[in-house]
Amino acid sequence: MKIQALCLSVLLLIGLNSCKKDTGGTLTLHFKAFYDGQSLRMFDTKPFTNPEQVQFTHLSFMVSDLQLLDQSAKVNLKDVELVDLSFDDANSADGGYTITIDNLPAKSYSGLSFGIGVPADMNSKKPADYPSSSPLSNSSYYWVAWDSFIFMKTEGRIDTIGNGSFDTGFAFHTGTDNLYRIVMANIPILIEDGKNKNIDIDLDYKKVLDGIDIKSNPQNHNPKDSLQIKVLVQNLSNALTLVQ
Amino acid sequence: MNFLNKAPGFYFIVMMCCIGLYRCHDTIDSPGVADVDLTHIPYQPIPYLPDIPTGFPALEQPVDNPMTIDGIRLGRKLFYDPILSIDSTISCSSCHQQPKSFTDQLDFSPGVSGNTHRSSISLLNVAFQYHGFFWDGRAATLELQALQPIENVIEMGESWENVETKLRRNSGYQSDFRKAFGIESASMINRDLATKAISQFERTIISGGNTRYDRFVRGEIFLNDNETNGYLMFFNVDPVLPDAQCGHCHTAPLFGTTDYFNNGLQESADLEGFADKGLGAITGKASDNGKFKTPTLRNLVFTAPYMHDGRFTTIQQVVEHYTSGGKFSPNKSAFLNNLHLTESQKSDLISFILTLTDSSVLTNPAYKNPF
Ligand code: HEC
Ligand code: HEC
Repeated sequence: MKIQALCLSVLLLIGLNSCKKDTGGTLTLHFKAFYDGQSLRMFDTKPFTNPEQVQFTHLSFMVSDLQLLDQSAKVNLKDVELVDLSFDDANSADGGYTITIDNLPAKSYSGLSFGIGVPADMNSKKPADYPSSSPLSNSSYYWVAWDSFIFMKTEGRIDTIGNGSFDTGFAFHTGTDNLYRIVMANIPILIEDGKNKNIDIDLDYKKVLDGIDIKSNPQNHNPKDSLQIKVLVQNLSNALTLVQ
Repeated sequence: MNFLNKAPGFYFIVMMCCIGLYRCHDTIDSPGVADVDLTHIPYQPIPYLPDIPTGFPALEQPVDNPMTIDGIRLGRKLFYDPILSIDSTISCSSCHQQPKSFTDQLDFSPGVSGNTHRSSISLLNVAFQYHGFFWDGRAATLELQALQPIENVIEMGESWENVETKLRRNSGYQSDFRKAFGIESASMINRDLATKAISQFERTIISGGNTRYDRFVRGEIFLNDNETNGYLMFFNVDPVLPDAQCGHCHTAPLFGTTDYFNNGLQESADLEGFADKGLGAITGKASDNGKFKTPTLRNLVFTAPYMHDGRFTTIQQVVEHYTSGGKFSPNKSAFLNNLHLTESQKSDLISFILTLTDSSVLTNPAYKNPF
C-alpha cells in the first residue's frame, strides 16, 4: 500500500513537472516606486515644495482584476493583491514588488488592465468576510467612516522648514467606490512558450502628491477631506508608466 | 482563474508528507518507561462548534488540528497544570489568569526564574488572529507559540522531553490524550499533540457580542452622549470633532489589527536606537524596528498595566500618551501627532473604550481551572 502510494506521488510529481515545462509562457510584473524619476526607498530624503522635504515610511496599494486583454476576450490573472512598495534597501526597491503569472497561453495580447483599489462588489464586504489568506482580511486596510477598503496608503514624514527635522507625519489614504480607478494599457504584449515577459509598472510619488499641501493637511480621513483624496486619485494616471 | 489552480495531486503529496512526518514523531519513545496500550479506551471525537459573534471573521481551524470537545478538555487541563514547568510552580494560567481577562495585571511576569522582559498579553480572541503571536510576532501560529513558554528559562524552565515523560506516565493524561487524538499507546503522547490541545482550548476564549459596543452595533441599544462622542472620535466619523486616530490601528470588531506599528513609545533619533526592537528583531528589517503587535482594546479595564512593557498603569495615561503625539523616531506612525483633544473629549474617548467591556469572560465556567 505504502509503496503504491509512493509510486503514485512520484508519478504525479513527474507529471506536474512536465506539464509546467512546455505549457505557455510567464508574465512578470514589477511594481516600482519612484520619486522625480529616481528609484525610491523608505526614509530617503526628497525635496518637496521648497523648502519642504519629505521621507516616505509606507507605500502600498490594492491591485485588483488584473487582466491580459485580447481582441475578443480577457484573461483574468489575479482578483486582488496588496502591492507593498515599502522597501528599505536599494536592491529591493530596484526589484520592486513582483507578481508572476505562469502557464499563460502563448500569443500576442492587446493590452493589460488592472484596478487600483477594489471594485464595488468586493468593496461592499468587510475584512471579516474574507479568509485570512486574502489581503482584504487585513482590517487596517478598511476605513469604517468611509464604509470602504483603503485603496492606497501613502505615508511618511515632512520637514516643513527644511532644517532636517521630520517632525510631522503625513498619511494619505484613498478609498470609496467612486474613486476606484481602472488602469488600461493598450500595448501589444507577446507571451511565448517557455519564455518570461517582463513589464515594469512605475509609480512616481512626486506626481502622486502633485498639488497636495502636506503641511496644512497632513491627513485625509475626515469626511471634509474628500477633495484632497480626489486629487490624489486623479494624479494616478499621470504618475503611472508602463515599461516593457 | 482555473489554469492557475494546483492539481489535486499536489494536495495528495502534501498529505502524504504530513502522514510521513507524523509517523516519525510516533516512534519517539522515552527510555525506561514501559509503554501502555490505550486502545481499550474509546476514541469518539465530537467536533466543537464555536459560537462566533456577529461581525467577527471566520474561525479558521488548522486542517491538522480541528477542535473537539475532548481536545479542548485536555488543552484546558494542560493550560492550568504546573507540571509543565520545571518545579511544578508555574502554569500558563499563572501569567494568563481568567479573572484578569487572561493577563496577570503586572508589567513583567514572574516565572520560575526571574521576570519576563515583556508584559503578558490577553488571550481574548486569539482564535481570530492569523498574523503572528507575541508582541514581536515571532510565533506564526498558536501551536508554535505554545511550544515556547515551556522551554523559556524565565517562564517555565522545563524541557519538552521531561514534560513528555511526565505526561506519558500519568494515567489521567494517557486517557485524555487517547480521547482527544486517538493515539494507541502512551508513548505517542508528545509536544505536538500537547500544543495542539492547548491551542484548541485557547481558540475557545472568544469574547464579543456581550459588550455595550456590540449591542450598539447590532442596533439593540444606544450609546450615551459621552460614549457616542468617543465613538465618533475613535473612528473619525464626524467632521466637526477631532480625529483621535485610534480606529486606524485598533480596528473593529477585534480592536487590534493584523499589522504592527510604532506608536511612539520609544524615543530614537534613528532606526537602530530602540531599546526593544520588537518586530524588527524578527524580520531583520530596520524599518520594522520599534514596531509591535496591536493588542485588542476589548476588556481593557481588566488588563492594566498597558503596552509591551506595562509602562502605563491607567487608561488616562494611555490617552495622554496618544494625545501628546508620543516620542520621536523616524518610523513613528503618522497617526501619532498632537491630537488636540480637550479634557472632556479625552474622557469621552475613555467612555467609549469602556463600552468594550465583557465581564462574562472572567467567570465563564468553560474557562475555569479544572483541577
Ligand atoms: C511567566 C509568565 C508566562 C507564562 C508561564 C506563560 N506566558 Fe504566555 N505570555 C507571557 C508574556 C510575557 C507574553 C508576551 C511575551 C512577548 O511578546 O515576548 C506572552 C504571550 C503569550 C501569547 C501571545 C498572545 C498574542 O496575542 O500574541 C500566547 C498565545 C500565550 N502567551 C500563551 C501561553 C501559553 C499557552 C502558555 C503555557 C504553555 C503561556 N503563555 C505561559 C507570559 C507567560
Ligand atoms: C499607529 C497605530 C496605533 C494608533 C493610531 C493607536 N494605537 Fe494603541 N496601540 C498600538 C500598538 C502597536 C500598541 C502596542 C504598542 C507596544 O506595546 O509597544 C498599542 C497599544 C495600546 C494600548 C495598550 C493595550 C494593552 O493591552 O497593553 C492601549 C490601551 C491603546 N493602544 C489605546 C489606544 C487609543 C485609545 C488610541 C487612540 C487615542 C490608540 N491606541 C491609537 C497601535 C496604535
